[in-house]
Amino acid sequence: MKIFTRRDILKSSAGAAAGVVAGPALLQAAQAWAADSPFTPEKDASIRLLRWKHFVKSEDEAFMALVDAFSKATGVAVRIDNEGFEDLRPKAAVAASIGKGPDIIWTIHADPHLYPDSLVEMNDVADYLGGKYGGWYPIAEFYSKRGDSWISIPYFFSGNFPNYRVSSMKAAGFDSFPGDTDGFLKLMAGLKKNGTPGGFALGNASGDGNCWTHWILWSHGGRMVDEDDNVVINSKETIEGLKYVNAMAQHFLPGCASWLDGHNNKAFLQGECHLTNNGISIYAAAQRENMTNISEDMDHAYWPVGPVGKPMEFHVQFPMMVYKHSPNPMAAKAFIAWMMEAPQFNQHLQGSVGYLSHPLRAYDDHPVWTEDPKRKAFRDTVDRTVPYSHSGSLGNAASSVFADFVVVNMVAEAALGTKTPEEAAADAQKRAERYYRS
Amino acid sequence: MIRRRKADDHRSGMDYLENLPRKVVVVYLPLFIFVFVLLFPFYWMAICAFKTNEELHAYKGLAGMWVWEPTLDNIRRLFFETEYPAWMWNTMLVTVVSTFLSLFCAVCAAYAIERLRYKGSRYVGMAIFLAYLVPPSILFIPLAKMVYALDIFDTNLALILTYPTILIPFCTWLLMGYFRSIPYELEECALVDGATRLQILTKIVLPLAVPGLISAGIFAFTLSWNEFIYALTFISSAENKTVPVGIVTELISFDVYDWGGLMAGALFGSLPVAILYSFFVEHYVSSMTGAVKE
Amino acid sequence: MAVLSASGREVQQVDWRKRLLHNRTFLGLLFMLPAAALLLTFLTFPLGYGVWISLTDEKVGRGGAFVGLENYGWLFEDSVFWLSVFNTFLYTVVASIIKFVLGLWLAMLLNHHLPFKAFLRAIVLMPFIVPTVLSALAFWWIYDSQDSVISWILIELGLMDETIDFLGDPWNARWSVIAANIWRGIPFVAITLLAGLQTISPSLYEAATIDGASEWQRFRHITLPLLTPIIAVVMTFSVLFTFTDFQLIWVMTRGGPINATHLMATLSYQRAIVGGSLGEGAAIATAMIPFLLAAILFSYFGLQRRKWQQGGRDD
Repeated sequence: MKIFTRRDILKSSAGAAAGVVAGPALLQAAQAWAADSPFTPEKDASIRLLRWKHFVKSEDEAFMALVDAFSKATGVAVRIDNEGFEDLRPKAAVAASIGKGPDIIWTIHADPHLYPDSLVEMNDVADYLGGKYGGWYPIAEFYSKRGDSWISIPYFFSGNFPNYRVSSMKAAGFDSFPGDTDGFLKLMAGLKKNGTPGGFALGNASGDGNCWTHWILWSHGGRMVDEDDNVVINSKETIEGLKYVNAMAQHFLPGCASWLDGHNNKAFLQGECHLTNNGISIYAAAQRENMTNISEDMDHAYWPVGPVGKPMEFHVQFPMMVYKHSPNPMAAKAFIAWMMEAPQFNQHLQGSVGYLSHPLRAYDDHPVWTEDPKRKAFRDTVDRTVPYSHSGSLGNAASSVFADFVVVNMVAEAALGTKTPEEAAADAQKRAERYYRS
Repeated sequence: MIRRRKADDHRSGMDYLENLPRKVVVVYLPLFIFVFVLLFPFYWMAICAFKTNEELHAYKGLAGMWVWEPTLDNIRRLFFETEYPAWMWNTMLVTVVSTFLSLFCAVCAAYAIERLRYKGSRYVGMAIFLAYLVPPSILFIPLAKMVYALDIFDTNLALILTYPTILIPFCTWLLMGYFRSIPYELEECALVDGATRLQILTKIVLPLAVPGLISAGIFAFTLSWNEFIYALTFISSAENKTVPVGIVTELISFDVYDWGGLMAGALFGSLPVAILYSFFVEHYVSSMTGAVKE
Repeated sequence: MAVLSASGREVQQVDWRKRLLHNRTFLGLLFMLPAAALLLTFLTFPLGYGVWISLTDEKVGRGGAFVGLENYGWLFEDSVFWLSVFNTFLYTVVASIIKFVLGLWLAMLLNHHLPFKAFLRAIVLMPFIVPTVLSALAFWWIYDSQDSVISWILIELGLMDETIDFLGDPWNARWSVIAANIWRGIPFVAITLLAGLQTISPSLYEAATIDGASEWQRFRHITLPLLTPIIAVVMTFSVLFTFTDFQLIWVMTRGGPINATHLMATLSYQRAIVGGSLGEGAAIATAMIPFLLAAILFSYFGLQRRKWQQGGRDD
């Protein structure tokens, strides 16, 4: 049986070299844990886990070192496969519909709600971890629970915040990052005037594009559906938001309309773009490549608060789910529980250098958030997240509307002026109603 | 071959009519522009493969058109830190096997349609042609379910069995044209002498159709080398991937593109086919000629 | 009775013919078996299955119920779907025509007596050889809104002051992806047409030249008519490849900006796989079939014409 690929072994040894606690100490701890864990793996169990391809290499190294330790301590062979962010979801869905494939999938968004009947109930793991580590953030619970059942375990969230060049912001007349949408608009205008413009992805960018356009919508009080899943996107709040975005887009650097998730990273690192939204990958890349002119001059901020008067941000969730077709569900549960125990989760959090944020309150004080003040915004990712189904329920309709870029397209149309805000909102209403029809 | 040489001789004979300056303007200049445009993205890939990450980000303008501090780091990373050698092997294996499988099926089918002319063969010929209208994007969902049901998910076999559906129609069409050009008399003589159909196919028709086989083979090879959707859907483990899928899924981490590695991968991923073509391009053209003429 | 009155020789002949016919059909089927087995299992069956899915409301992860033509009904009212149909047609028609014109031109250039002929032909095939996803990544960079090589050159030459927003403006984006598709498709067209050109007997040109025909007249009255059959075939393949293109768009724009470059194939993937609406995605894919069928029939009749043009060995 193949337990590790050659590459995995390479990686985990590299992880050890990079300073992740590995080897004897980790192994001992793992053995001790396995001895009195509430989750006993099946005899001769082996599990396959499919995950999205890592964003930051050190996260993957930490992850693989932990997997390695778990395997050695429990005797459970663990095999990890990576898949691109976009390609993971179809694979997960196929596995659900045909009842074959990986045991655990570390997936994205609220996808477990698309095939809840194929998943193992995780109440024991959720209660165990929640009880031990200060409770789950409410949004994490909302995303993973269906009725009274936990159908997945919220493992991480990935923050997506404004990234800005400090010197350019100061040159535009701001000492600190504006906390409200009016100030934000002025900042954009100032940056453009100084020849140091900002820009936000308007293309079909599933990460960056969705994150900032939902902020525009929600911060102005617009929403896709009400509490009863009636489509209410065509509202005067939405139109206000679209007018705002149209004014804001006048100050974008050219080309944003085509941007996918990778474009703003590139433009920011090349010094073309001075304000955009992203996870921590730009900062991490600047540090890794010793581009100190960028890394020392940049910072992250909370999304400005709009007319609704409270933070309305969107960040992506990465839950772990166990399939009913798994012959070793207890081994899978043991794996997830073990990974989220403090000694392990700390390492994983550390290795992910701010890209991933914790859903359990006890990790608020983790050093990853304090050792570098520029990561601070990402600590509060889970606290500030609004679910993408806002204000309705999770499921196929919400997921499909999201995947069909209805909000991104609406905002892009208004931003580029190809439609008036009123037309764009009416159009989005029509598109969304198709998905929420039954 | 003989035919082509004659054409060439003749052409050079006609060339005295075209004086050199005129030929430069009418032939060489446009040809140069064509070659430049067709090769430029390839040149871009090649220089990016040798650039350091820093240089990829720092150089703009015309300075970006050249490599100032060449590095082999991208290539080293590609070969030693990813499963690239395994992707290469998988792609080779899948491509070669599915190409030969398709050729076998296509030879039999083309022979049956074109030479046996059994009842309804015309309709079958048309049906095979129609098979081309089926885009992989409609097939891969149902196919994924079948691949799982046959328990060949995440194996080379999944690709070896599905690629021929893309390859057979073209190969069959090409070989049909080729077989048609082989005189019936040869076959009739052999039949009178008591040869079986199989003997006729292997001893008489196939040797005459070698250029057609090369042409169809090269085409099939290229198509399966480039295939993307099926490989993306049916393969999940890193070490079972093919080159195009492996490069794109393993070297892009969502919004972080390993540009150097991607371009190095593109460069080396194209080399085997490029080498194949440089050997066979003459055959390719001449055998196509065989297939398209009546 | 008539049969009884027939001579024994005639009966024997009918028998012999019958046996041969029977034999041929049997042999034919035998020879068809490998291809038929593969195509029926992995093409026809999933095709039918795909059409069936388009008649259900199947979602990713759960089976669907039969809903008749509802998916098509909804698509009919969907502006994004119609936009993708428009894009697909624009993409196919423009790219195919330009590919044909440039490909034919290139083929004629390559048909001249040239030094390094084999080398040139190999080079010209390069875009066809590089896996499409990877050349799409190169174009991703070449079309970058901030530091496109094309913009750099034009700025250095003093022809422009600002960078070109290749993929940001809906129409620019359409032309840009079409250009990338043309780049990728020219080699196949050119090399195949080159093969066709080489079948044309040079004596025809010679005779025409002696008769004082101009270059255009030679092209119009000799090259083009004799090349028609192969053009029909090449264009069918070209249209099919273009119509069902997926990789290029998916890597470069994901269908953006504002769905300006969404083709039916990419929209089908987005709806079915990313969005999970398998039924609707399958309906979009199925909606491509009539158009493809039209393209195939067009070419098939082109092929038929080839037969009677040549005096035909038609049975």
